[in-house]
Amino acid sequence: MEIEHVKEKILEGRPGFPREYGPQRRDHQPGIPLFPQEATRDLVVIFLLTGIMFFLSAFVTPLLGPARSPQLSELIVPDWYLLFSWGLLKVADILPQFVVGAGTPLKADFNAVFWGDLLTGIPIIALLLLPFLDRGREARPAKAPIRSAVGVAGIASIFTSSLYAIREVVAQRWVSPNGAPLIPDFTMKWFFIIPPVLAGVTSYIALRRLAYQPMRRWLVPYVGALTLIVLAQTAWVFLTPEGLGAAARPFLLEIAIGMAIVVGPLVVAMLSLIRDPESRTRKVSTTVGAFGLFGFLAYSVALPYVGPPNALGWVLSVLWPNMNTLVFMPLFGVLTVWLGTRRPYSAYEYLLNECYQCGKCHTVCPVTKVEDDALGGLNLVYNTFKKQHDGVPLWTCLACDACSAVCPLDIQYSDYILEERRKVQGRMAADGGTLE
Amino acid sequence: MPYADLTRVVTEIDQRQMPRSHAEKYELKTIWYWYPLYCLGGISFVAFIVLTITGILLGFFYVPDGRLEISTTGDLTNPAWRSMLIIMYDIPFGFIIRGMHHWAAHIMIAAVFLHMCRVYFTGAYKKPRELNWLLGVVLLLLTLAFGYSGYLLPANNLSEGAANIGINMSRASPVIGDQLATLLFGDINTLSGVYILRFYWLHVFILPLIMIGLMVLHMALVWLQGVGEPH
Repeated sequence: MEIEHVKEKILEGRPGFPREYGPQRRDHQPGIPLFPQEATRDLVVIFLLTGIMFFLSAFVTPLLGPARSPQLSELIVPDWYLLFSWGLLKVADILPQFVVGAGTPLKADFNAVFWGDLLTGIPIIALLLLPFLDRGREARPAKAPIRSAVGVAGIASIFTSSLYAIREVVAQRWVSPNGAPLIPDFTMKWFFIIPPVLAGVTSYIALRRLAYQPMRRWLVPYVGALTLIVLAQTAWVFLTPEGLGAAARPFLLEIAIGMAIVVGPLVVAMLSLIRDPESRTRKVSTTVGAFGLFGFLAYSVALPYVGPPNALGWVLSVLWPNMNTLVFMPLFGVLTVWLGTRRPYSAYEYLLNECYQCGKCHTVCPVTKVEDDALGGLNLVYNTFKKQHDGVPLWTCLACDACSAVCPLDIQYSDYILEERRKVQGRMAADGGTLE
Repeated sequence: MPYADLTRVVTEIDQRQMPRSHAEKYELKTIWYWYPLYCLGGISFVAFIVLTITGILLGFFYVPDGRLEISTTGDLTNPAWRSMLIIMYDIPFGFIIRGMHHWAAHIMIAAVFLHMCRVYFTGAYKKPRELNWLLGVVLLLLTLAFGYSGYLLPANNLSEGAANIGINMSRASPVIGDQLATLLFGDINTLSGVYILRFYWLHVFILPLIMIGLMVLHMALVWLQGVGEPH
């Protein structure tokens, strides 16, 4: 088969090559009309929304509070949608502060508030420039992993900067057993950067994996670096005098068990990543991830009953001040191993959903040339796409990849076929049959 | 006759001049499982309509005067805050209308933000829709400005604190800082309370004027260019 000829539409209409691809389609539908179908659906949404507003007004009433007074006594927290800007304003004191042109009318004070203004402007400028920076053709989120990862990191950073804005509330409410703030300002500042970066890299790896890419080259250095940082931090906590502090020393055993539950899964997942084949690593990361999560929950529920009083408070007073390394890195590390080694559950959605039914695959398919109903009923790809395979398209395909070679959208049809066969085989085994 | 064929027959016979639905226009066969996220722009529009209606009702009773006064009991008060009390406790349905205005504002801002996320992640800002994305970013900023100016108006402690932050942020601009603060807030601090009147006029006239114009443009462009779905 001369692929180039098919691509250029030279063979269409010749003997054996149909102009009309596939069977006569009977399921053409013009879509859902605006009236009455879509209008009814829209009314449902509108009434539901208005109902939610009434419900919230009645049961979560916005109270007025005292009249404004220049002497503010309580801590004022702006509405949630402005918190990110306030957080940027607060974190800006890490930038250098100086005055230009002092004593002249053009005096410019580069203070923390000015830097805060500038920092708030950066995301807005980025949003305005976005369509001119990202000129690629790909629209779907799973097929544009860099854009999607940057988006996830951006959303995460809105959360972290909003949380930084209420650092005083965090410092007031979250205290260690000796009354000191649980999360110091230094940790909160790093919290600004580390979780968004972790979320971004993890999403990137997960989305690349969704396209059946082997992600080992990314996983080993990334998760390896996270493991090293976490182990170094753990060593610092236990081996240096300022790591634990004198007050926490009597609770060394409880703290060590808590740390092992949190850090252990990451180390095990990393070792498995180096040593085991992918399928085993996936299972190991699922198991240790679940162990870490539920283990820590069970530990924090059980500790007040079996341990000395306040022991849980002291465990947390070691974990939270180092939350960027000791909490988020193990969490994201194990999650990344799992996402980066898993087999995407829905190959159908990912691989075939781009098809616009041009029919070139049918033209080149060798099976349709030898089967009896080649020009009549059997169109492997089309029938599979419509989920109309009664076993025929699925098991007749040779996985020769001729269809993928001519596909204008590079859909890897045979990947999908092999994945579906694997699923059917798994089902057969589950039904009591044997794996072939 | 199967349902799908029935609809086709109906539309073939019925040569309507009605606007066609999205699914109709593009003859959609596969329904993408993220389609529920495509109603967020509409949700923010519905919330905007609710805000307009409740805002007009609130405007009959609200007094945009934030000047400090001493009440007979010796407490600090102001006419704007007292008019809020009247709206909430004396006017029939005043409490629920203020509540609706409050929650519709929160829902609108959340919907606008999620709408932007949807457009971002599905790459719907790409050519030829760059202009509409820019309009959308401006509309997002206007929505935040609406929210900010709105929660200055009750003249309570939250309003005081937020106005102080806003004034300080404006004053931090180099060279023109104080002039900018005076332009936006009427003063370089909150003592005079004139910021209430200024943000009232922004909130009920200037911002809605710009907002409605840009919203009409935004939706007209969606109408002309079609929904930017990834298929």
